[in-house]
Amino acid sequence: MILDANSVERGSRLAADVCVVGGGAAGISLALSLSGQGISVLLLEAGQWEEHAPTQSLYAGEVSDERLHSPPDKYRQRRMGGSTTIWGGRCMPFDPIDFEARSQVPLSGWPIGFDDLLPFYPEANRLAEAGRFSYDARDALGDDAAPMIRGFESPLVRTDGLERFSCPTDFGKRYGKRLQVASDVQVLLGANCTGIRLQSDGRAVRELEVATLEGVRFRVAPRVAVLATGGLETARLLLASRDVAPAGIGNEHDVVGRYYMCHIAGNVGALALNGRPRDVRHGYEVTPEGVYCRRRLSVPAAEQRRHGLANAVARLHFPRITDPRHRSGVLSGLFLARRFISYEYGKRLNDGSPATPSVYARHLLNVVADPLDTAGFLTHWVRRRTLAQRKFPSVILRNRTNRFSLELHGEQAPRADSRVTLSDRQDLLGLPQLRVDWRYSASDIESLRNTLDLFAAEFERTGAGRLEYRPETLEEDVMRFGAYGGHHIGTARMGADPRTSVVDSNCRVHSVHNLFVAGSAAFPTSSQANPTLTLIALSLRLARHLARGLAPHAALELQEAAA
Amino acid sequence: MKVLVLGGSGYIGSRLCALLQASGWATPVSGSSRSRASGVESRQVDTRDPASLALALRGIDAVVNCVAGDARSIADGAGRLAQACRDAGCERIVHLSSMSVYGHLEGVVREEAPLDPTLGWYARAKCEAESRMAWFAREGGHAVMLRPGCVWGPGSELWVGRIARFLRSGRLGDLGVAGDGWSNLVHVDDVCQAVINALRSPFTPAQILTYNLAAPDSPRWNDYFVDLALAIGATPVRRLGPWQLRLDAYLAGPPLKVAEKVLSRVGQAGNIVPDPLPPGLLGLWQRHLKLDSRAAERDLRVRWTPYPQALHEAVQELRSPRRGRELRRSAADAPGHPSAGPRADAAITHFSRDESILGGSNG
Repeated sequence: MILDANSVERGSRLAADVCVVGGGAAGISLALSLSGQGISVLLLEAGQWEEHAPTQSLYAGEVSDERLHSPPDKYRQRRMGGSTTIWGGRCMPFDPIDFEARSQVPLSGWPIGFDDLLPFYPEANRLAEAGRFSYDARDALGDDAAPMIRGFESPLVRTDGLERFSCPTDFGKRYGKRLQVASDVQVLLGANCTGIRLQSDGRAVRELEVATLEGVRFRVAPRVAVLATGGLETARLLLASRDVAPAGIGNEHDVVGRYYMCHIAGNVGALALNGRPRDVRHGYEVTPEGVYCRRRLSVPAAEQRRHGLANAVARLHFPRITDPRHRSGVLSGLFLARRFISYEYGKRLNDGSPATPSVYARHLLNVVADPLDTAGFLTHWVRRRTLAQRKFPSVILRNRTNRFSLELHGEQAPRADSRVTLSDRQDLLGLPQLRVDWRYSASDIESLRNTLDLFAAEFERTGAGRLEYRPETLEEDVMRFGAYGGHHIGTARMGADPRTSVVDSNCRVHSVHNLFVAGSAAFPTSSQANPTLTLIALSLRLARHLARGLAPHAALELQEAAA
Repeated sequence: MKVLVLGGSGYIGSRLCALLQASGWATPVSGSSRSRASGVESRQVDTRDPASLALALRGIDAVVNCVAGDARSIADGAGRLAQACRDAGCERIVHLSSMSVYGHLEGVVREEAPLDPTLGWYARAKCEAESRMAWFAREGGHAVMLRPGCVWGPGSELWVGRIARFLRSGRLGDLGVAGDGWSNLVHVDDVCQAVINALRSPFTPAQILTYNLAAPDSPRWNDYFVDLALAIGATPVRRLGPWQLRLDAYLAGPPLKVAEKVLSRVGQAGNIVPDPLPPGLLGLWQRHLKLDSRAAERDLRVRWTPYPQALHEAVQELRSPRRGRELRRSAADAPGHPSAGPRADAAITHFSRDESILGGSNG
């Protein structure tokens, strides 16, 4: 059932077995997975079905350096479906090495392993509508699938890894009906959780405070509460709930909000491949299930260990859009249209380089000089993206010259001083706003540099091509837009030791026996992978854990009902 | 025990006759609008004609009603059957109803759920037929009503053959929200098993029992479409939006339907024009109705064919060379079918068409 929170009686106290806060990828997956097991689920979603400016403004906050991190109300959405309403849909699982404690990544190591998550990845893949859980090109595309780069085989560089693309699926619109018909799930829209109230001993959640923008306030007294509000909001709620735990819930050791991670990403270098352009797979391919997927370059786990590298991938990409020297009408068209593209997708079209009249003129010239390509691109875009249900994931240019840049996406090492804290300002409902102070390490850049050197050496050795980049500008290249937007990781990290973590291996807050965290806030490290698929898998694992714990009671209730 | 299987040449009926015959426990008599013997005794019956029914019921201990067709053959046929059975002293009827009697209801549905005849003529006729069975029980008979979901299996034209053609031509694929409903697929053998066990259950006068039939592991429609498409190589699977389906059903549908009728009148096999996409299917595919069939499992001891096995069997049959020769299109071959268009032609054509499909699967 889905109701508006304003229909709840003011001052009432609602009961539920599980109260899930947040109706995004994590919360919806969790609620769906709990359904049908004799457990009553109450899902609190702050927003409605569409974006609503006053609700979205509750996400506003500060950043310590705008060049390094977007404002906190960007790249996330406070509405049904959460940030899946704007995501790009890129899916891939974490790698087994991501879960290991690695000397090259300080503070790394999860209390669970890849095998603990593996059983939940196929269902996560299904929910994300990314087809089969198969991320190897030969397996996903068939044995006769062409290699990424014909003639390039290296034990140090993996080229048969894939990323898959969701439609991208808006979890609210896609699964709203399932939630609507589930007799054991109740969704309240417009329900903002404004505080977590603990019992006086601080060891259990007593109730959650809920408020609507229309002024209705009520409470929820669940047996178990799950925060599924994303990597930023989860920390905010924990930190802001200070009545019993003065430093905030789960924050006895000052860990909540720390170790905040995003990804290090950017376009780097010039890769000139030998051989024919048609022997290179740089763009999207389609699996038998109809899912777009794309190859990537990566370093196998053993080589990461041997060379002391953090995990990273590289995709074959086109030149810098803002620089008209690429002479591509399509890219120049994108540059000229950037004001019509949303903040999240347009950000990387504004790289701070001066957009002088002459630059504009040269872009315009590119468009005019390349009319067929531009028209062909537009036709394809309208057919395969604008009108399509499964959207062509991003701009791909025809490969004419076998020249690419590398689009890097790498993990950053967790660090305690990269953190979110509460600011002195409050939102409309009285909750303190967030202040984001995201930081990265020189070692993150160094690791990417070593990764690029390794790629370059292997292209050289095999004779497949030549990769050149400027090591001295690498940091500038990957930091031009700051942290990769939308990946909010690690603020309530998982671990065995409460002094360096907030939740245990079951995502339970160490000090509070019925409070759990679903989502990327619980990731201790960030991986090369985008977080969505793994946060769904982790939520499904959490659902199984909760169902097991709550099941005896549920069975008893059913018996009573039948009697 | 002699069991008259009405609609005995249809998809379920013919399979039931074969299984009953093989069981050695009862002797099936295939009752159909056109007498056609294929290893079992058969009688020609027009279920809308009381005299014909009375004749067919001679020496019969129980009747299984698998009659499909238009609203009249379903509703009035059931009424006449109930009357004829009472008059002839035949005390047992197993009646194949349909999940469409639940209408727009969604969620997990048990047999006690209220009926909703508002889904169209088919649901209305099925609800009426059920009330005739209730009358039969009130008169002292023993009636078991089975409400199957979508009955499939080897040779199923509605839920395998036609779907496969839609997939091959790119008119069907992953439908997103529009295909998120539960398929409630149930293997034809599981339905037959339920019928046989219902026939063998203890006789209690003036009793009516009702059971849902759907395999508990039957997937959502999208999953079924993708699985079938992958199995038959109709790849890459297309992702279709609701508006594409609606265009197909409402714009292309009527002319295709007309063409199909014209061609069948002039005696052409129906494989020349593409199948029309019945608008009723659009509703079915997005309906979140999940039949709870635990009662059938408990009382009728149905052991469901696992979905992967059922899929495998269906695909094998689709690939077999016999099928290409014998395949004929038919609009409504299963009582579980909620969406056949209104049929002006009587049950006669309907039954005869189905036979050609079934010869391949069961012969």
